[in-house]
Amino acid sequence: MSRYFRRRKYCRFTAQGVEEIDYKDLATLKNYLGETGKIIPSRNTGTQARYQRQLALAVKRARYLALLPYSDRH
Amino acid sequence: MRHYEVVFLVHPDQSEQVAAMVQRYRTMIEGGGGRIHRQEDWGRRQLAYPINKVHKAHYVLMNIECGQEIRAELENAFRFNDAVIRSMFMRRDKPVIEPSPLFKEAERERQAGEAGSGRGEREQRDAERSRRRDSDEPSGESTDDEEADNDSDAEDDDE
Repeated sequence: MSRYFRRRKYCRFTAQGVEEIDYKDLATLKNYLGETGKIIPSRNTGTQARYQRQLALAVKRARYLALLPYSDRH
Repeated sequence: MRHYEVVFLVHPDQSEQVAAMVQRYRTMIEGGGGRIHRQEDWGRRQLAYPINKVHKAHYVLMNIECGQEIRAELENAFRFNDAVIRSMFMRRDKPVIEPSPLFKEAERERQAGEAGSGRGEREQRDAERSRRRDSDEPSGESTDDEEADNDSDAEDDDE
């Protein structure tokens, strides 16, 4: 019922056949973080469950190493 | 023997000692029959949030293959070394040798810095960094696929 055309969501990791999401690849990870540093849910990004789990782990590792913020209020 | 990926953060004031520390850990690992497959020095980086009131830290990454005793020894060494402000050990299934995205980033920065006017302290650090790059590793060809997905957009997330 959408009034305008919406681009279909797809999983970039599946499309590229990524083997493992690397916590060191900040450029990729940042695409899946909102402005506040939260992980964007897969229902919004279209990431497949398998990759969403990997993504969550990668983001959490990067956060621990202070490569990514936990929030925007540090 | 297991494969581990180790990252540790060194206090910026102790940044000069990183070379000596790495050397110490290297002898520790290799003395115990382990191997270092990849070792990277990302240099001093801005932290995403302050840790113990420091805002920068010197990052070192190592991919090693060693037994559990050496791993425990290494963890202990990190714990009792005040210069190490944080460390993380991860299990890996196989040795990883290609340079990580962050290392490439540090390299790029270094080249940019070299093009500009000389920053003495930086250059010195970078020189030892390149010296410590393991020569026995076949340098993994850098496929630029992480460059390609940089421009992935967040347009598809609004509902």
